[in-house]
Amino acid sequence: MSVPPQQPPWQQPSGPTQGPGGPPAPQRQPTPPQGERSPAPPQQAAPPQQPADPQVPTGPPAGGDRVVDTSSSVGDGLHKCPRCGSAEIRYSIPARALECAYCRHHWNEEVAEQKFGLDSSIAELQGHTLASGTADVREDLTTVTLKCQGCGAEVVINIAEQMQSRCHWCRQTLSVNSQIPGGAVPDAVLPFLLTREEAVERISAFVDKRRSFASPRFKREFVPENVMGVYIPYMVVDGNMHAELRGTGEVTTRSYTVRRKVGDNYVTEQYYDADVYQVQRGFDLLVNDLAVESARRFQAEDASQATNNVLNAVQPYDTANAVVYNSSYLTGFTSERRDLNVRDLDQDVEEDFLAIARSKVQPTVANFDRGVRWEQEGVAVRGTRWVSVYVPVWLYSYADSAKGDGSLIHYIAVNGRNGNTMGSVPVSHPLIFALSCVLGTLAAVIGGAIGLAWFLS
Amino acid sequence: MNDLLLALTGDPGVTTLLAGNSSGDGSAGILFPFLAGPAVFIAVYLGIYRFYRNTDKRHEFERKTEVSVGNLRSADRRVGSNNRQRSRRMNGSNEDDHLVRVQRIQVR
Repeated sequence: MSVPPQQPPWQQPSGPTQGPGGPPAPQRQPTPPQGERSPAPPQQAAPPQQPADPQVPTGPPAGGDRVVDTSSSVGDGLHKCPRCGSAEIRYSIPARALECAYCRHHWNEEVAEQKFGLDSSIAELQGHTLASGTADVREDLTTVTLKCQGCGAEVVINIAEQMQSRCHWCRQTLSVNSQIPGGAVPDAVLPFLLTREEAVERISAFVDKRRSFASPRFKREFVPENVMGVYIPYMVVDGNMHAELRGTGEVTTRSYTVRRKVGDNYVTEQYYDADVYQVQRGFDLLVNDLAVESARRFQAEDASQATNNVLNAVQPYDTANAVVYNSSYLTGFTSERRDLNVRDLDQDVEEDFLAIARSKVQPTVANFDRGVRWEQEGVAVRGTRWVSVYVPVWLYSYADSAKGDGSLIHYIAVNGRNGNTMGSVPVSHPLIFALSCVLGTLAAVIGGAIGLAWFLS
Repeated sequence: MNDLLLALTGDPGVTTLLAGNSSGDGSAGILFPFLAGPAVFIAVYLGIYRFYRNTDKRHEFERKTEVSVGNLRSADRRVGSNNRQRSRRMNGSNEDDHLVRVQRIQVR
């Protein structure tokens, strides 16, 4: 599966462009697909143009790729309460909605799948459908200049660190909501449902079960209240494909025992006869909402710096309920910027499709009681749909302070939607070694007694 | 503690220990302490380590992702026999190893 590079939606097809508040960026090749949103603002990350109907794909059907514009109707700058006009808005977990700090009005953004037509039939997917929030990340784009609608001041925000800032003159909250190609604004966000207190309880319970052989320093330094709410970027992929698997299988036709003499003794051996088959399966596969990490720092395959498999293990997320991105959902939480593009992930996703195919075909080879050895496999991907989503995680991280900067970071993570909890607790190797020695010695003594009795009998 | 015991009993080392020796020779009993001691040591060490560190945990996307399968076509053809085998399972069976990739073929 090969996905072409994506051009940021407002990238000029010809001539250099200027990033928000930055120097002119070199012209990028190849030329963006035809029909993408028209180029826009050179100086500021003002919101990209809003299409008349966001459900109409703005990308071209030609070439099999199309881009669905998911840019929020909420622009950059002041995001006001629809009832009283205040800009003091944050997400309330108990209310499960955005909340105005002044008038206590509650509301939510629309479900992204429904608003942007991303829930259409997977069987009808052809080519690559890319939500606009999956556009290629520009590593050099780190700052955005916002113009305060309240007083006219210009405020520079480092989008690598924050998506909101207060105007330094009038103190109103300014937000970045447009899909600047810095990887910080996804298509959708899945808000937290689990409160901080519930997360602390789950993390404490998880560690309490693992105190006996935990590292003494970890036990001293463990403070579950240090848990942080983090939004982690995922790509959610739907796929329409045909899979083929070929291999060899065996069916037992007879099992029997043979008694033969070895030295002065007789031994009994079990034997099996089997028929050998060439096995082939072909089937259509529709994959719905396969989630893959899209931040290098949290990729499950890389556990050299941190126990990223823990973050992977707290899935699944109900990404179908993700709402249209609004930076107010991130207030009070931290978020990780996406730094992997569709092109970086498409080979991994294809391998995931193959793994799913192998898993789903398993019941159809149950009659091969001696097993099946798959030797060849492949998928013909007819269509995919990619959407970038922020998912909520309560994260406790611990690095051994005595080991310095190179220390492995141990995570204890709680899924912010369903409460799935998983973690890594550093162990005390001397303690485990001592217990293993004691039990091993005990087993050796008991084994010796049994063996001696057997020998003498 | 129950979780720890479950993790320990799930360790293959423990079942190896319990399987014992099948030769039927009484002199093999002399090997018992030399097998049982190291086997229990390894099983306890790895069991506790795995229970604390959870290095084997991951989201089993291949089983848990929502998937629809259709138009299944099967073609199984007998090509021979494999007799007098000692193992209950065939060599190299990998129908459970969903994450291990094999030769890729072009599919249209």
